[in-house]
Amino acid sequence: MASHFEIELDKLKNVIVKIGNLAESQLSEAVKALLSEPMAEKKEVKRTEEKIDKLDVKIDEICQTIFALQQPVASDLRFIMASMQISNEIERIGDLAISVIKNSKNIKDKHDLIVKFNVAELAKQVEEITLKMNQCFLDRSETTIGEIFVLNNSIKKGTDDTIHNLMNEMKSNSKAVVSGMNLVMVLKHLERISEHCTNIAEHVHFMIKAKIIKHEKFDDKQ
Amino acid sequence: MSTENKLARKKRMNQKIAFGIFTAISYSIVALLFVILAFIVIKGIGVISWEFITAMPSNGMTEGGIFPAIVGTLCLVFASMIFAFPVGVFAAIYMNEYVKDGWIKKIIKQMTNNLAGVPSIVFGLFGMSLFVNKLGFGDSILAGGLTLGLLVLPVVIRTTEESLKAVDSTFRQASLGLGASKWQTTSKVVLPIAFPNIITGLILSIGRVSGETAPILFTVAAYFLPKLPSSIFDQAMALPYHLYVIATSGTNIEKSRAMAYGTALILIIIVLISNLLANALRKYFGKKVKMN
Amino acid sequence: MHKIESRNVNFFYGENQALYDISLSMKENTVTALIGPSGCGKSTYLRLLNRMNDLIDNTRMEGNILIDQNDIYEKSTNVDDLRKNVGMVFQKPNPFPKSIFENVAYGLRVNGIDDKHVIEERVITSIEQVALWDEVKDKLKKSAFELSGGQQQRLCIARALAIQPSVLLMDEPTSALDPISTSKIEELIHELKNQYTIVIVTHNMQQAARVSDNTAFFYMGKLIECDKTKTIFTKPAIQQTEDYITGRFG
Repeated sequence: MASHFEIELDKLKNVIVKIGNLAESQLSEAVKALLSEPMAEKKEVKRTEEKIDKLDVKIDEICQTIFALQQPVASDLRFIMASMQISNEIERIGDLAISVIKNSKNIKDKHDLIVKFNVAELAKQVEEITLKMNQCFLDRSETTIGEIFVLNNSIKKGTDDTIHNLMNEMKSNSKAVVSGMNLVMVLKHLERISEHCTNIAEHVHFMIKAKIIKHEKFDDKQ
Repeated sequence: MSTENKLARKKRMNQKIAFGIFTAISYSIVALLFVILAFIVIKGIGVISWEFITAMPSNGMTEGGIFPAIVGTLCLVFASMIFAFPVGVFAAIYMNEYVKDGWIKKIIKQMTNNLAGVPSIVFGLFGMSLFVNKLGFGDSILAGGLTLGLLVLPVVIRTTEESLKAVDSTFRQASLGLGASKWQTTSKVVLPIAFPNIITGLILSIGRVSGETAPILFTVAAYFLPKLPSSIFDQAMALPYHLYVIATSGTNIEKSRAMAYGTALILIIIVLISNLLANALRKYFGKKVKMN
Repeated sequence: MHKIESRNVNFFYGENQALYDISLSMKENTVTALIGPSGCGKSTYLRLLNRMNDLIDNTRMEGNILIDQNDIYEKSTNVDDLRKNVGMVFQKPNPFPKSIFENVAYGLRVNGIDDKHVIEERVITSIEQVALWDEVKDKLKKSAFELSGGQQQRLCIARALAIQPSVLLMDEPTSALDPISTSKIEELIHELKNQYTIVIVTHNMQQAARVSDNTAFFYMGKLIECDKTKTIFTKPAIQQTEDYITGRFG
């Protein structure tokens, strides 16, 4: 039978899963907005954003309460610490998704630019890394964490290249500048989302291995 | 370095000396006890026989047995304990569990201690005045039993009180905390725990009573009785008095000297047996309330 | 309405005042922890709730203590009945030198219940309540002293529960136990809270944090602060409370 404390920890875990899923769905809306696919109503998106913010605050409160009242140690301590940080990262992902939606609205010749520079592929990768991020929190598998790092590298390279190409495009075609700039910003947002997912993977790694690997170079992480 | 060694050596020396003294004293006490016992046994064992224990004295008490004295002593022990034990235990319970701390308690305690110090012959005189004469019991087992009971009462009270005190207050609190009354607590929790030690008090009292001579001089003891006592109003012979009689004022002191030693030996054996019995009882009850 | 309410309680051991103007209320089915440094009066206060301090000579109580809205210090109060309703568990496990069964049955017997079936049923229920049944079901007739310290303490809790109190007072119930027994009993308190109102004195602040809904901080006989445990341990209102909890003093 689970103890009182274990029940509290389970509650916390469920809230994090919840906020993770909300961020994932928010990103999915953002990608739809980017690729001109039909997306949910504005109200819906706003509501999800509020929910994410509320849950982030709630997670902070839960963690503070557990620290104060339960004196967690060892793996429990790492779990609580990681949870607080993961929650913050996820909230950022939510915000970035909103930014993507905003910037996507200002991309006029979306179809052309996006197809030309194969943005859809990148967007799908970012969706994938977000999925893996949620997964690795649940399965705590080193394999998943490894995949996240690899994927992040790929995304980073992809966005760097695409932005480079976009810059060249804007140099030669002044009409594409407004859209181009917005698309650059979208790509930057997507890159940031990917980084946040990687940070989350690092926190999960800390949780399971008690080793802090923040700020290390990629090769060392391997 | 050498000062330390000197100090250490001195310490060890002192330790050895002290321990040596304690050991010597302890052994000498034990040795003394053995000497006394050996003396009695050697002098008296020759007389001991089945006849000695079961037959009546004959021929001016120079021959025969000491059966009536044995019976008399046992009766007196019984009579005195029947009185002293319940009265003493209940008095101790009252003092320890019910009376509030204060000057009344102090006075009662002091009086009890004083009573313990009264010489036994004074008890005898008192017993004669009250039980034999005033209340008209005459020289009897009843008078003798009551007198001996009074004599040993302070001992019973004191040892019972100590036994009750030794019961951890946490048991009383637990019982009262469950809504039990004071008497329920005392009878169901405290007494069972204190019982083994109370029995020890019983042992001491029996030993005391068996050997007291002065109180029974005035109240019950007979020089010689042809028959065994048949009721508590009868006189009785008793071992300590009988010993005195044979050794000092018998018809032929020299001849009955050996019997005197035999009597002493029987007396010691009775006390020993009652000790062993009470010890066995204590172990039995002690097991039931075994403390961790 | 509060289950337990104290109003302006002052308590004296002879000339010495031990409690100053304590006003404290506890709701039904809550766990209230009393914390504070040694000698601060928390145990003294606890023992007022079942009038155990009556056993000490030369003490005086001023003020009112109400349980279920009845003043328990009124002349007409039956103290034995009060103690039936307000059970107590002590610091050092103190089972009687009797069998396990008889220990739990004791409270029933001294309160006039002698129906064999009722006794048996209540004993078994109480032992189950404290999660001890599996460990002792085969040795109910054995001496209670054969149990470990933690088991003995749970037995004492069962003994208190058998007479079906509505309030349970616990005076540092785990301070003599090892960590595993302690956590078992803390878990038990979580469960018991649904049926009983519990007041627990503890010198272990972390225990108070883990186990209670409300915490009252006592210092030198005064009640410094009483609030939800979560509040006391995250943002206490009074500096003294904060200093004590953070270990700055006491």
